[in-house]
Amino acid sequence: MADLEIRDLTVEADGNEILRGVTLDLDRGRTIALMGPNGSGKSTLAYAIAGHPAYEITGGTMTWEGTELNELSPDERARLGVFLAMQYPTEIPGVSVTNFLRTSLNAVRGEDVPVREFMTGLKEEMAALEVDQSFLQRSVNEGFSGGEKKRFEILQMAMLKPALAVLDETDSGLDVDALRIVSEGVDRLRSPELGVLIITHYTRILRYIRPDEVHVMFEGRIAASGGPELADELEAEGYERLKSSV
Amino acid sequence: MTTLSRIDAASLASTSEAAGEPTWLAERRQLAARRFGDQAWPDSHTDEFWRSTPFDVRFDVERELAAAEGGGLPPEGVLAGVEGGGVQVTIVDGALTSVVQHPAAEAAGVVVTDLRTAATDHAALVEAHLGRLTTTTEGGTGSDEDRTITLNDAAWTGGVFLHVPAEVELDVPISVHVHVTAAGAHLPRVLAVVGHHARATLYLEHTSVDGVSALVDEVAELIVEDGAQLRLATLQDWGSGVEHLALQKAEVHRDARVLALAFTTGGTTVRLRPEFDLVGPGAEVRPLGIYMASEGQWFDLQPYVRHIAPRASSDVLFKGALQGESRTVFRGNVFVHRDAVGTATDENNRSLILTDGARADATPFLEIECSDITAGHGSATGQIDARHLYYLQARGIDRDTALRMIVTGYFTEILDEADLPGVSDRALAVIERRIAAADLSAVQVNDLNLREEGEA
Ligand SMILES: Nc1ncnc2c1ncn2[C@@H]1O[C@H](COP(=O)(O)OP(=O)(O)OP(=O)(O)O)[C@@H](O)[C@H]1O
Ligand SMILES: [Mg+2]
Repeated sequence: MADLEIRDLTVEADGNEILRGVTLDLDRGRTIALMGPNGSGKSTLAYAIAGHPAYEITGGTMTWEGTELNELSPDERARLGVFLAMQYPTEIPGVSVTNFLRTSLNAVRGEDVPVREFMTGLKEEMAALEVDQSFLQRSVNEGFSGGEKKRFEILQMAMLKPALAVLDETDSGLDVDALRIVSEGVDRLRSPELGVLIITHYTRILRYIRPDEVHVMFEGRIAASGGPELADELEAEGYERLKSSV
Repeated sequence: MTTLSRIDAASLASTSEAAGEPTWLAERRQLAARRFGDQAWPDSHTDEFWRSTPFDVRFDVERELAAAEGGGLPPEGVLAGVEGGGVQVTIVDGALTSVVQHPAAEAAGVVVTDLRTAATDHAALVEAHLGRLTTTTEGGTGSDEDRTITLNDAAWTGGVFLHVPAEVELDVPISVHVHVTAAGAHLPRVLAVVGHHARATLYLEHTSVDGVSALVDEVAELIVEDGAQLRLATLQDWGSGVEHLALQKAEVHRDARVLALAFTTGGTTVRLRPEFDLVGPGAEVRPLGIYMASEGQWFDLQPYVRHIAPRASSDVLFKGALQGESRTVFRGNVFVHRDAVGTATDENNRSLILTDGARADATPFLEIECSDITAGHGSATGQIDARHLYYLQARGIDRDTALRMIVTGYFTEILDEADLPGVSDRALAVIERRIAAADLSAVQVNDLNLREEGEA
């Protein structure tokens, strides 16, 4: 049994069926890439895994290390090690980055991390991701540029050390330097303990974070699967071939 | 003892005499007593400013004046004035019980004293200003048409006089703490004069023994002279059982600046009038408000900004949260005199409805006689944004903790802007206590906007 096991998953949003039977396996220590045209359901799958309330599971199963995720609240999933780096991170007025990260880390670890230790760890990770210290006083994501938001998502991942990381278009909105810093950041976090699902439209992030498998979503289903070479083919040829094959 | 309704000139005359008040003060009380006799209590059917709050239902005036004995001690709890470490004045049950001076204030000649004593010792200033802002009616000013104000003019007890002389820049706060332990009516009065180009921070703090049934009818007159800066915070954390009528009226002169934070969380009924008369050109005022109403509470918040002089600016922002069967009214009044060219005014109110059954009303009331101005206003009532809640939960934070963080964060914007020493800690402690007492499982979130995620 795979660590993350998704079987025939169907998901609705706003009464519309968006995922129409997705089956996917991901083990800790492995990295898979998920590609596919706009609107095919990639973010929907990511949100379904992370328990977003707008997405209703209508069929199939989704387990993490044997536990049915659908029965857990988003915070319970996060405490099991599930992490979603969002495509559009939310701004939260008045909640400071420091307070947010500390509360989150304590919740995920299930114990209070001493302030000293927390600050030291945080400053190290911020330095590695080249996030300025002035962000500590700011409100979560408020007024951050698109690229800064993505960097902050990965900073959270670095702090929380999840077991399953879903990165939803973390590469979009990043310039070349930022892409390198963020991708290297993710690559550093890879370990036999971590499973990674990277959602992307481009291979440029995959050059830093080499996937073990590539899957393609099309109209709410996995329409093709293969090795890293599949990503290169798709980038060169687009999704046209897929459309004709479905 | 007589109840408030039966206060009359004769009884006040004997009180004045017994207290050794100077003639001018005794006469002023007599005048007010006569006005009081001619006035009726506010009537929500006929009185424009009382339309939203039924006076007879929410305020009990058949009470006796609380004995001014200063019994009981103020609570041990955190007080912003104590945290801020400045001058501390305490009024318990209508009597001034202690004045703790601060070396910096004393050295600079800052006067902090009992108002009755000041009526003799600082007669020039006190006679010139006491009651001036409550009784003038020119140019749209004047608040004495309201009997609840006249009552204080006539019969105030527990008064404080503060004077920050011209050009004195005092950085430590002056705090006046009104504490109520005895049932009945309390009539505190504050007169503060901030001289030209002086700088001062004033806190008015309010606490009571929980469950004591009292009416507190409070008037503060604040004169802010040319180029002076006043930072004012009213922190109101009454126990249950208190009905509070408060007028805080500031007269803001040429190029003077006032930042005022009104923090309202306690009591059964609170009617707060933070008023600002911008009488000098270039005057600037930033009235901020935070309110948090719970089961059974009714808050009627009526900031009033009067632009009398040209090129003055005002920007009002009140934010609140409501839960349980509670009610808040925000009526933001702005008056712009025909001569007040170049006025810039804005006014905004936001209310967060946490649970079903709470109701927040907002009405802007603009009376504009001059066309050469910029004026704006806005109000919004909503629920906690489900996207905020989800983001925090997705990071492992449980729902209750996440809700607490969101509500606290919502108010932090205002506390950070006010940035008053000791106030944020005090306010956040009160907010957290109120949230802790709430039933968070009943909190409703707004998930209508979950869909708009992409547009963020
Ligand atoms: N909350 C929602 N309510 C209604 N429809 C939704 C919702 N979220 C997504 N959809 C619809 O579901 C479909 C799939 O959306 P999704 O965001 O999963 O696509 P995607 O593959 O991530 O696309 P992109 O590459 O543009 O990010 C789209 O047609 C979208 O409009
Ligand atoms: Mg997407």
